[in-house]
Amino acid sequence: MESVLIGFGHWLQTRAFATSIAESDWAYPYVQATHFVGLSLWISTNVALDLSLLGIGNKSESPAKLSSALFVWNWLGLAIAITGGFLLFSVNASMYVTNVAFLTKLGLLIPLGLAMHIFNQWKVREWGLNPEMPVAARIAGLTELVLWVGVASAAVSIPYAA
Amino acid sequence: MLLQLARSLQNNSFIISLNSTAWSAAATEIVHYFSMFVLVGTTAIVDLRVLGVAARTQSPTQLAERLFPWTWAALAFNVLSGFLMFAGDAVVYIPNSLFHAKLITVLFAVAFGIAVQWGVPRWDRLPAIPAWAKILAVASLALWVGAIIAGVEVPALTGVG
Repeated sequence: MESVLIGFGHWLQTRAFATSIAESDWAYPYVQATHFVGLSLWISTNVALDLSLLGIGNKSESPAKLSSALFVWNWLGLAIAITGGFLLFSVNASMYVTNVAFLTKLGLLIPLGLAMHIFNQWKVREWGLNPEMPVAARIAGLTELVLWVGVASAAVSIPYAA
Repeated sequence: MLLQLARSLQNNSFIISLNSTAWSAAATEIVHYFSMFVLVGTTAIVDLRVLGVAARTQSPTQLAERLFPWTWAALAFNVLSGFLMFAGDAVVYIPNSLFHAKLITVLFAVAFGIAVQWGVPRWDRLPAIPAWAKILAVASLALWVGAIIAGVEVPALTGVG
């Protein structure tokens, strides 16, 4: 399994687009910045939804309405983050595929976070009808929040695990 | 004088142990990144609403009231964690002109954020959001993108951080 992953990593990082980023004097930081701009949109709109599920913050409008208002930019943020993230990955793919922190981030925490987010976005239309958030909504909001903090923690740990 | 201050900051035993212990250095970084995402993202969404391209089912005021408390809470966490990271290498950051550029961009971005927050309930009472308000929103967006670029360029170009 590991040799397959490493083989794939080598293949990916020798593609023309990956080598041109790696060899460029200026491209890499801009790819990083793209990843962070996408994450800003994605994480902030997720956090806004989760905190509203927790019943924290301004309650002048329902979490359901907030969620639907943020929906487009929420997913647009993820699309930008994935684009930047994939390019960052491509440049050093053979290192990433053997990095425990990266594998935990991509293989475990992101799928869990995504699943929890889709669940919350779907359920908020029902929970959001209540004047007070039900306990289930609070637990779900907190769980998603913890998962995204976990994703950020795993990401920060990548250089430490290398 | 500034360098002397930086040196004593960097030699502070709390700062040394915070930045030389792997878990606390990583935790500081996590707080800095996560709060940056919340700070920039919530500001950007309100800016995009002022421009009329996001969250149109809500009034700008409704959205701002929901998001701006998180913006300022995130700014507090971001400044605190940023200061701790800066303190660990203060002597190297102080003369770094790219780091100065980052700080100045962030200061302007925060100032524009305050202007937008102040303006939103006022613009909302007008029949249409004035053009200069949209210019403010574009400037706020551009400044945050600029701050992120400056932030990644500091380690990329100067090897600090």
